[in-house]
Amino acid sequence: MNNLSIKRKLYLGFSAIVAVILLLLALAYQNFTRLSDANEIDKHTMEVLQAIAGLRNDLLQVQVEARGYYLTGSEQRMEQVFKELKDLPPSIKRLQDLTSDNPNQVARLKRLDELTASWAHDIIEIQVKLRRELGDKAGAADTMGHTDQLKQGSPAIKAVYLALDEAEAEENRLAIQRGKASEAQQQRMQSVLIGGGVVCLVLAMAISLLLVRTLLKPLANLTQAVKQIAAGQQSARADVISNDELGHVTQQFNHMAQAIQDSLVKEQEATNLLKSKVDALLIVVSKAASGDLTGRVSISGSDAIGQLGQGLSTMFDNLRTLIENVQKAGIQVTTSATEIAASAKQQEATGIEQAQTSVEVLSTTKEISANTSQLLKTMEDATAVADYTTTATADAQANLNRMDATMQRMVSATDSINAKLAALSEKASNINSVLITITKVADQTNILSLNAAIEAEKAGEAGRGFSVVATEIRRLADQTSVSTWDIEQMLKEMQSAVSASVMGMDKFSEEIRRSVNEVAQVTTQLSGVMDQVQKLAPQFDAVLQGMQSQAVGAEQITSTMMQLNDATQQTVESLKATSEAVHQLQYAASDLQSGVASFAVTV
Amino acid sequence: MKTLIFHIGADRYGLRLRDVVRVLPLLELKQLPQAPASVAGLMDFQGRSVPVIDLCRMSGVAPALDQYDTRIVLADYRAPDGESHLLALLAERVLGVQDVSDAALSDSGVQAAPFLGQVASDRHGIVQLVELNQLLPESLRAILFQPSP
Repeated sequence: MNNLSIKRKLYLGFSAIVAVILLLLALAYQNFTRLSDANEIDKHTMEVLQAIAGLRNDLLQVQVEARGYYLTGSEQRMEQVFKELKDLPPSIKRLQDLTSDNPNQVARLKRLDELTASWAHDIIEIQVKLRRELGDKAGAADTMGHTDQLKQGSPAIKAVYLALDEAEAEENRLAIQRGKASEAQQQRMQSVLIGGGVVCLVLAMAISLLLVRTLLKPLANLTQAVKQIAAGQQSARADVISNDELGHVTQQFNHMAQAIQDSLVKEQEATNLLKSKVDALLIVVSKAASGDLTGRVSISGSDAIGQLGQGLSTMFDNLRTLIENVQKAGIQVTTSATEIAASAKQQEATGIEQAQTSVEVLSTTKEISANTSQLLKTMEDATAVADYTTTATADAQANLNRMDATMQRMVSATDSINAKLAALSEKASNINSVLITITKVADQTNILSLNAAIEAEKAGEAGRGFSVVATEIRRLADQTSVSTWDIEQMLKEMQSAVSASVMGMDKFSEEIRRSVNEVAQVTTQLSGVMDQVQKLAPQFDAVLQGMQSQAVGAEQITSTMMQLNDATQQTVESLKATSEAVHQLQYAASDLQSGVASFAVTV
Repeated sequence: MKTLIFHIGADRYGLRLRDVVRVLPLLELKQLPQAPASVAGLMDFQGRSVPVIDLCRMSGVAPALDQYDTRIVLADYRAPDGESHLLALLAERVLGVQDVSDAALSDSGVQAAPFLGQVASDRHGIVQLVELNQLLPESLRAILFQPSP
């Protein structure tokens, strides 16, 4: 059992349960078949009983139809009788077929067949024949009722019915017997089902219990071992009980526990190695801490401690170099301090010289201050002159403005003169037109006088006086012409004079305009000058203020120089102090040298 | 004898006053295209059309200027066949009527233009008479005075 795998164990358990259930099902099926057979037999018995009842019914039908014929004598009824008679043999045959397995019934039915045949032949056929002979005679039915056969009550038919009753009783008995057998069958079936169910249940429980036990025991073993290892008992192992999957797991677990134990031992060894290396390092470092840097680190390798050893080795090398450098630097510092002391002495001398120079600067500054005061006075005078210039320029501007106004008036006067001249020219033109009219009139008069003279001449002696008048008129007209020509000449001269005047006036006004422009320019320039002069005053003020501030500045320079003098003195003092400090530095440097010398650096 | 004094060019000429019908101021003339150069144009006198002869052109000097004393002299022209026609003469510087005594008149002795007649001297110089009858040559007369149909 222990050598089987879990899968097979499960398969076996469940197969056993399934086999028991299948057995139970086979038993149940067998019982059901038997019950079904019993039912079939019951049904057969019922069919036999039914066939007996059918035969009985057929017999009754024959009797009824025969009696109907007896009474009525109708041919139709007779045919019906024979038809019913024909039905009897098939019914009996069917009954025989159904009961062929029962010899008692076979014998009985054979007898019944014979009885029925004799009844049909001896009684029914004879009586029917009789009735047919009687025909439609009156009292035929009555005659029929008094036949022997009818009177005797037909013992034949009674025997038939008796046989039928016997057959029925036989079948009923058989039915009761078979019902009992069927009931017993049912009882057996029930007991088989209950017993089988109980057996199945018990078997299933037993198999389950067995399976659980085989699975849980190795697991409990394994858990126990894990708990022991967890508690620190490295050598704890689980027992291998079975050869199944859990057995394999247990084996693997044991291997694993062994591996862990082995690795722990290895780790212990590594730790010991590390400790020895660290101890070696510690020795070198302790030496270094006490000032001896000659120790060498012999540990190497690619692991962390090896790298640490290499790092320490490098560090010691660097430290050695550093200390050597520091020793050298100490010597250098000492040298430098000596140099600084020398230069401080020099500076001190320079400071004293500077103090003397400051005194000289001070006296010079005082002179500057005095000069500045004089300059200040001069500037004040200049300011007064500038103010005067400003007022004078303002007056000049006012005069120029007046002149400008006068010029403007002249321009307007010239314009009006021009206008008047234009009017004059127009008037002259008017006169000219009047003159033209006069000339025309004179001309007409001339022609008129000519014609008058001609007419007078033609009149001869009578026109003599008229001729004189015409001549006179002509003379007047000529005079008018001459005067007109004179006036015309004068007018032309006047017009040319007016034109010249207009041109002259134009030129004059042009001149005035130019003058006005020039005056305006001069005014603008004067304004500019005035502005400049007015600006000059504040600038003078600014210069004045500058001068004053310069004077103040000179005083400040004086005081500053005095302060500088003091500062120089202080510098000299501090230089002395520096000298002292440098001496101290020299001492410190020699201390440093001796301190660093305590380090052993040469290997 | 009374004459109407006028100028042709720089010289004075006189026309007998009996030939003169009327002196008129200078008018606007109707031009006559393709007429001879001496015909200045056509004028209207009281509804009658009268041909105008420029005396300056007729004499072969520069045409008469449009001056204030340039006049049109309306004359009564008698043709050789005795027919009377109105003829207008354009004359420069018409000075007026002057009495020229017959005694002062004498022949010029020089055959120039056919219409220039006798001359007379006075204090202003020489005045030559213009013979109106001789003024128009045959051809011009034929052109100017077309027989009325």
